[in-house]
Amino acid sequence: MSEILDLSFLSEVERDLILNVLQRDEELRKADEKRIRRLKNELLEIKRKGAKRGSQHYSDRTCARCQESLGRLTPKTNTCRGCNHLVCRDCRIQESNGTWRCKVCAKEIELKKATGDWFYDQKVNRFAYRTGSEIIRMSLRRKPAVNKRETVGQSLLHQSQLGDVWPGRKIIQEQQKEPSVPFDVPKLKSGKSALEAESESLDSYTADSDSMSRRDSLDKSGLFPEWKKMSAPKFQVEMETQPGGQNVVSIDEGEMIFKKNTRKILRPSEYTKSVIDLRPEDVGHESGSLGDRSKSVPGLSVDMEEEEEEEDIDHLVKLHRQKLARSSMRSGSSMSTIGSMMSIYSEAGDFGNIFVTGKVTFSLKYEQQTQTLVIHVKECQQLAYADEAKKHSNPYVKTYLLPDKSRQGKRKTSIKRDTVNPLYDEILTYEIPESVLSQRTLKFSVWHHGRFGRNTFLGEAEVQMDSWMLDKKLDHCLPLHGKISAEASTGLPSHKGELVVSLKYIPASKLPVGSDRKKSKVGEGGELQVWIKEAKNLMAAKSGGTSDSFVKGYLLPMRNKASKRKTPVMKKTLNPHYNHTFVYNGVRLEDLQHMCLELTVWDREPLASNDFLGGVRLGVGTGISNGEVVDWMDSTGEEVSLWQKMRQYPGSWAEGTLQLRASMAKQKLGL
Amino acid sequence: MVPGYHLCFLTSLLCSPWLSTNLPTKTITMTDGDYDYLIKLLALGDSGVGKTTFLYRYTDNKFNPKFITTVGIDFREKRVVYNTQGSNESTGKAFKVHLQLWDTAGQERFRSLTTAFFRDAMGFLLMFDLTSQQSFLNVRNWMSQLQANAYCENPDIVLIGNKADLPDQREVNERQARELADKYGIPYFETSAATGQNVEKAVETLLDLIMKRMEQCVEKTQVSNAVNGGSSGKLEGEKPAEKKCAC
Repeated sequence: MSEILDLSFLSEVERDLILNVLQRDEELRKADEKRIRRLKNELLEIKRKGAKRGSQHYSDRTCARCQESLGRLTPKTNTCRGCNHLVCRDCRIQESNGTWRCKVCAKEIELKKATGDWFYDQKVNRFAYRTGSEIIRMSLRRKPAVNKRETVGQSLLHQSQLGDVWPGRKIIQEQQKEPSVPFDVPKLKSGKSALEAESESLDSYTADSDSMSRRDSLDKSGLFPEWKKMSAPKFQVEMETQPGGQNVVSIDEGEMIFKKNTRKILRPSEYTKSVIDLRPEDVGHESGSLGDRSKSVPGLSVDMEEEEEEEDIDHLVKLHRQKLARSSMRSGSSMSTIGSMMSIYSEAGDFGNIFVTGKVTFSLKYEQQTQTLVIHVKECQQLAYADEAKKHSNPYVKTYLLPDKSRQGKRKTSIKRDTVNPLYDEILTYEIPESVLSQRTLKFSVWHHGRFGRNTFLGEAEVQMDSWMLDKKLDHCLPLHGKISAEASTGLPSHKGELVVSLKYIPASKLPVGSDRKKSKVGEGGELQVWIKEAKNLMAAKSGGTSDSFVKGYLLPMRNKASKRKTPVMKKTLNPHYNHTFVYNGVRLEDLQHMCLELTVWDREPLASNDFLGGVRLGVGTGISNGEVVDWMDSTGEEVSLWQKMRQYPGSWAEGTLQLRASMAKQKLGL
Repeated sequence: MVPGYHLCFLTSLLCSPWLSTNLPTKTITMTDGDYDYLIKLLALGDSGVGKTTFLYRYTDNKFNPKFITTVGIDFREKRVVYNTQGSNESTGKAFKVHLQLWDTAGQERFRSLTTAFFRDAMGFLLMFDLTSQQSFLNVRNWMSQLQANAYCENPDIVLIGNKADLPDQREVNERQARELADKYGIPYFETSAATGQNVEKAVETLLDLIMKRMEQCVEKTQVSNAVNGGSSGKLEGEKPAEKKCAC
């Protein structure tokens, strides 16, 4: 977070004094981290005990927390002001001003205070990305998403241990200070190495032998004589003892189970990973799964754990939601749909068991005066039975105006009991400007309302609002279909906007700084720079016709934290200028043939899952990587040509404007 | 909150190169984590106004009359109990608060270092010396430094005129100082690290401001959620009455 400070004016005595202070601060911070983890685990515990967070449909006569029957309570006075759920008296926490919240909401509020998140959230808003050089540094540190908790003292201490800020390391300082654009990235090579080493051995709590050996090699390389001189042996000890301690305290049993499960279940649709990648200490598995590949590409094996450390309440809420979704999704026969299911968090239910039949009849009208879309849901016919044996269905219709899948964007009809030809004759409305509406897709889905919140998917249908004649108030009838593959199948507007990207490959031999070190490490490759310039005409995912978007990148075949990069979030715009550079180093030119850069654009949804806005895959598009058939090597057209241009002309920027795909499902190769 | 002040360059103040060491600090840090809130405060102001002695008085209830320049930054800690007063007679709760009180060097030469620490503090003790008109005049510079470098543009601040125990050397009168504090909308205290006068009160007032802001912050998140819910609530009115759940 902090800019690089030039502290060369300090005398040695002063430096030691300050280091001493920073060291004490570090101890305090560590103790506080433990405390915070404990609190977060408490929240998880409370949630595990039956908290329902809008993820499922459940009886309106039971308490949302303990599931006890509520009897005759008036909804108004018994809904929690945090989550709007009906909550019984026992599950409430009184507040000082005479109001109350449910246990979960109260705990979340408490946590927000106790963890200091109320403060860090503001701070991060103000200082996240101040200067161009800052952004570069972020990129270099593989830390585009700032750790909001990082304090100046902390980063100074870490820098000091590497000799970064201090006398003797002036070269780096000056380079880092350049108010430069991403072009200059390669110059920072040595600075980067230092920072990498830092994040490995200090931020990630792994006792990873690899990272230790890297540090050794740093020491031996003699690049940091200053560092050695000033860091008392104490620091070394500190670093070596750190890992074990941290790991032990923080691993929550339930969390671990959950993590393992997500790993397995979600693999096929990993592009929704931003929804789930909040595994704070899940290092052991990760490093194991990197495989041999990462070793030949040392630069990519750097851990990204510090980013994940940023786990906060929002994440926990998400985590919880996904848990619910997952647990109610056992059938698992439609793996390809998990992605979409996970992103529409409220659609937890049974999929796959039903052979979808029937149709939905409705009419649409747009009222100009009130800017309201009026959906008249008339009926459904010949729906499938949720329970084929008992010939039983309690269907209701739910709508979204995609891409808005938020709770606020959901509308539902009543539930009709025991029928497959339900007559609704109900009006659902959306207040939305016409210009925004034309970019949306109205999605109907029909669900069976099961007992205990187990709803069953009965089919869905979509209407693209841009092609719909809203002035005619005719009845329309659409056949229902199953969830085939998220957006791809449904003929959603293919125009998701464009992404402007510039790519540059710098061979190892051309990397200017730190080349002496390069030579000592045989086989270390060059650097791939991905300059995410801007996006144009993105879909609006938020009310008000905007999106808070960011771009996430993976350098496939590695789809893990090590290869994940993110830009900052650009708020309230459909034409965001990210101007952010992802740097992948340790990449050999010949590797590029087998790699694929996947860039996805997301709408940040702090309290729900992020919405997918589109994506691209840059690669050779042959379907083959390292001799194996892979589904992600599916680039076409401009995606391929831009990649090839970059490979062809190392050292120069290849720029292209890419059409965003509406779905990251495989393009050419079937599932 | 305050009309934009131009960032004036601070005149180099009495730079004393004869510094040696920071005040003795407690060697054992309280790292048990047995507290409810970790609140970070920061003291700032010209060199020699008494930031370090003020904090020393607050944490250890002692006074060290020797002037020892703080090298860059330092901090002290104190565990306090904060009581919320519940409205309508309901008894408030007591929270254990761990205070981390950052002390900063007033000297110009450390400026780049000290201002970098502003952003990590939740509240500020802006101090001047009642016996130094210049230190008072510099308050507005410190204010603009804060506005630029703190975690938000209007952080919680208390203005503190220190060395109230030296009335015969006084150069800043109370009315003057209070007017300035009022202009910024912040509380003002005249304190003495030597006698302990108002020291606790000043810190507690700041803590109180921070705790109130914290409540507002979390309440605001809740409100913004409620606003979202509100708009959909409006639509819900037009929807069939059979609204099943709030999700």
